[in-house]
Amino acid sequence: MATETFVLPGETLDPTALPSHPKLPLKLGPGLRHIPPNTITPTVAGQLCTDKRKNAVWVEFNGSRYIPTAGDLVIATIQKSSVDLYHASLSDYTPNASLPQLSFEGATKKTRPQLTSGNLVYGRVTLANKHMDPELECVSSSTGKSEGLGPLTGGMLFTISLGMARRMMLPKPVEQGNLVVLDELGAQGVAFEIAVGRNGRVWVDSKTVKTTLAIGKAIVDTDEKGLGVEDQKKLARKLARDL
Amino acid sequence: MPREVEPSLNEKQFFAKALQENIRLDGRAFDQFRALELDFGDEYGVADVRLGKTRVHTHITAEVTTPFPDRPFDGVFTIATELSPMTSPSIELNRPSETETLLSRLLEKTIRRSGALDTESLCLIAGSKCWSIRADVHVLSHDGNLVDASCIAVIAALQHFRKPDTSTEGEQVTVYTVREREPVPLSLLHFPLCVTFSFYGEGVLGKGGEEEGEVVLIDANLMEEQLREGSVTVGVNRHGEVCQIAKLGGLPVDAVALLHCISVAGVKVKELSKFITGCLEADAKKRDKGGMMAELRADNDRVS
Repeated sequence: MATETFVLPGETLDPTALPSHPKLPLKLGPGLRHIPPNTITPTVAGQLCTDKRKNAVWVEFNGSRYIPTAGDLVIATIQKSSVDLYHASLSDYTPNASLPQLSFEGATKKTRPQLTSGNLVYGRVTLANKHMDPELECVSSSTGKSEGLGPLTGGMLFTISLGMARRMMLPKPVEQGNLVVLDELGAQGVAFEIAVGRNGRVWVDSKTVKTTLAIGKAIVDTDEKGLGVEDQKKLARKLARDL
Repeated sequence: MPREVEPSLNEKQFFAKALQENIRLDGRAFDQFRALELDFGDEYGVADVRLGKTRVHTHITAEVTTPFPDRPFDGVFTIATELSPMTSPSIELNRPSETETLLSRLLEKTIRRSGALDTESLCLIAGSKCWSIRADVHVLSHDGNLVDASCIAVIAALQHFRKPDTSTEGEQVTVYTVREREPVPLSLLHFPLCVTFSFYGEGVLGKGGEEEGEVVLIDANLMEEQLREGSVTVGVNRHGEVCQIAKLGGLPVDAVALLHCISVAGVKVKELSKFITGCLEADAKKRDKGGMMAELRADNDRVS
């Protein structure tokens, strides 16, 4: 799905690197710019990724602040509640997102969860426009089930880069993202629960404080030091041994 | 003005649970500093201190001015702190925040009022000309414990700084450029450094602990600083002489704990001073290319 081509801003893209589709128009993702009539240049440095099926092309780069997009799974912090809304922050120093108090699984006026300032929720962005505050939901609007979304209790929150969050949320992180640290920890017999938010937050819970911290350290170190597959395995084995 | 972002409830609870099990979130011991790095610039008197993710840049400058009329024999020494929105978006320009006021006051108290810099040595002609030494402290990144980091930065920069050499003939003062005469170091009487202790009591840890209900941390990072209930900043020099103690509200601290803090601070400051001296020596060696520095020196040896 993704090709490993490194591009620099202003570079001329090889037309053969772009996907072509008989029917769908070409979709440009983040980091690419269309200069009419028919030039496409990258605006950031990163990996050029293409999706043949969707006829999409984008540049994968690690940086910038989180910009909400509809359908993203995020970890939000409740800031305050008003009559029928919770105001939750997705990233620091940005306008709050709104989360209707009834958009939880099985929530009615009487059984809705009581959340206070500082609580964490795992939600999905339903509405994201450039000039409007985003909206969240913690229940699938089509099925009425939570599908893993909802308030997060206990555990610890870690901050990671947005690129790392995207890597962790790939359908197959091991093959596509070279991310083996969590699999290796699991293979060493460490049990834990994890929720990754596209907004660069990771929530980890386990039985003991030490385990939670070890898992958080494994993720953050892999992110900050840019560890390769072998180094990740080494780190995971070392952390598992110390527990 | 945007408010500072507070840690979430989960983080607070987890932090308290970890403290009860004697674990710090970044895996440090309770009385352990983060990794300290100290770099000097190409110019004299530029120091860049990194304490974990906290980063402080200090620049010392000197100029000739007239002394204050009430102190004709003293030079001028000022410490200017600056916290820009780059440090944290919650800080606004031109409106001093509480953090900034406390930082500048503590630096003033520790370094200036304890007489670390001999201001009489800055006098050129009594009542009419003196050196004005200015230390600009720029906080580049705020991850807690600004006071300790800034103190290290200022003291290191002062030790690194060289002011132009001068000669006086009657009322005539000549300031020599670097090419004419090798600049001379400042006369520092002692090197005070700060160590900040963060206290966590029942408010964080909860009631019902049968052991002693208080945890003391050194070199708290931003989250630990936001959650603490009280703090004590002790300024000590490397001989163990206490220059200042700042206890600004918060949890009451009993005398024995305070004495313990002071003795711990003495040990820590000795380690930090040793580190700074090592860095200064390494820098001096780097500058002393032809091995001529000893010949070029214009200042007198003084016993400190």
